[in-house]
Amino acid sequence: MNKPENRVDKIVSDLLKGRPLKLRGGDAEEKAAITMAARLAAARQGGPQRMNPAFRKRLAQALESAPKEPWMTRRAALVAGFGLAATAVAGGIVSRALEPAHAPARLTGGPVNPIPGKWVDVAALTDLVEGEGKRVTAGGVGAFLFRRGETVTAVTSICTHLPCELSWNGGHGLLDCSCHPASFMPDGKSTDPTYPLPTLNKVQVRVTTAGRVEVLGTA
Amino acid sequence: MNLDRPPDEQAVGPEETENVLQLPANARAADIALGELELVYAFIYARVGNRADAEDLTQQVAMKAIPRLREGSPASAIRGYLFATARSVLGGFWSTRLGLSESELHEDLAMALPQGPPSEARADTVQAILAQLSENYRRVLELRFLHGYSLKEVAADMNSTVGAVKVMQLRALRAAAKVQVEL
Repeated sequence: MNKPENRVDKIVSDLLKGRPLKLRGGDAEEKAAITMAARLAAARQGGPQRMNPAFRKRLAQALESAPKEPWMTRRAALVAGFGLAATAVAGGIVSRALEPAHAPARLTGGPVNPIPGKWVDVAALTDLVEGEGKRVTAGGVGAFLFRRGETVTAVTSICTHLPCELSWNGGHGLLDCSCHPASFMPDGKSTDPTYPLPTLNKVQVRVTTAGRVEVLGTA
Repeated sequence: MNLDRPPDEQAVGPEETENVLQLPANARAADIALGELELVYAFIYARVGNRADAEDLTQQVAMKAIPRLREGSPASAIRGYLFATARSVLGGFWSTRLGLSESELHEDLAMALPQGPPSEARADTVQAILAQLSENYRRVLELRFLHGYSLKEVAADMNSTVGAVKVMQLRALRAAAKVQVEL
């Protein structure tokens, strides 16, 4: 399977089945063949492609979520002191007017520390499948759990841009925001390296000796 | 501002106030952008060849570009800005997927800015590329990509083996990539 013809054929087969590109180590050597395969696969569909209606609608909704007024620039937001205001007002018009890259410092991936906190039993370790995110609730704290062997990590289920619930996208192995086009990896980092959103806050989680998964939430 | 430069290369900081495009006063940025994003989607799809990646990348373009647009700018400027963003996003996509720096990527990723809606020209380009290949290479790519044959079916059609067809497919793709550069 490691021969280049096998690797490239796997990519071709995926493309012809309409699957997203999954590239592996060593594929860079065949970048010319792979990019050409993608172009030929696109040409197979005939003329220029149009957006799927559901996707277009989703995109329209994301665009609609932007304010009607001219978008605020970073400078304007800072001059107006809205960076601080947005920290205090989680959600709402003020934070929506800010660009994602300019989100306040509270959104830096630090742990959620509910006061008073309470360890809440949310699942059995055996309920969790490696490579899949599981949405759980611990009182007022929503989280996605990720299992790796006998350990479990968790991130908040709330996006760091708009305060919307994330959903698990099993096909891509990512957490997608339901309110705008943004995705996060299971470790909470934004998928877009050139325009990153703040990292998702971590949620504290532990596995008991009885094999139960507990999340630090609220009563 | 310089619309030809991808947004990632543009200055950020105090000058950012000047990095905001003006949209026509009688139209909302979101409405205009949605129409333009149809063109962006077609542009991206033609280069990644699948819907899931095309949708993801189009979303990224929207997210990056839209906050920098506002009332008052000509549609051509909006399109230029969106496609500059699309090129930047596509470059990032390939460099991430292939584990390469963007400077290592081939020039075929520096795509020309479309002057109007996508047309059938793209299919003609593909035919022109295929026409320059040897008979066997052209045949294997036509059967596999344009007719959707499996390897087994291609092998049967060409009186060959699956293993040999796989090798021929790779060589044909490499050859087609070289033809494209010369066009």
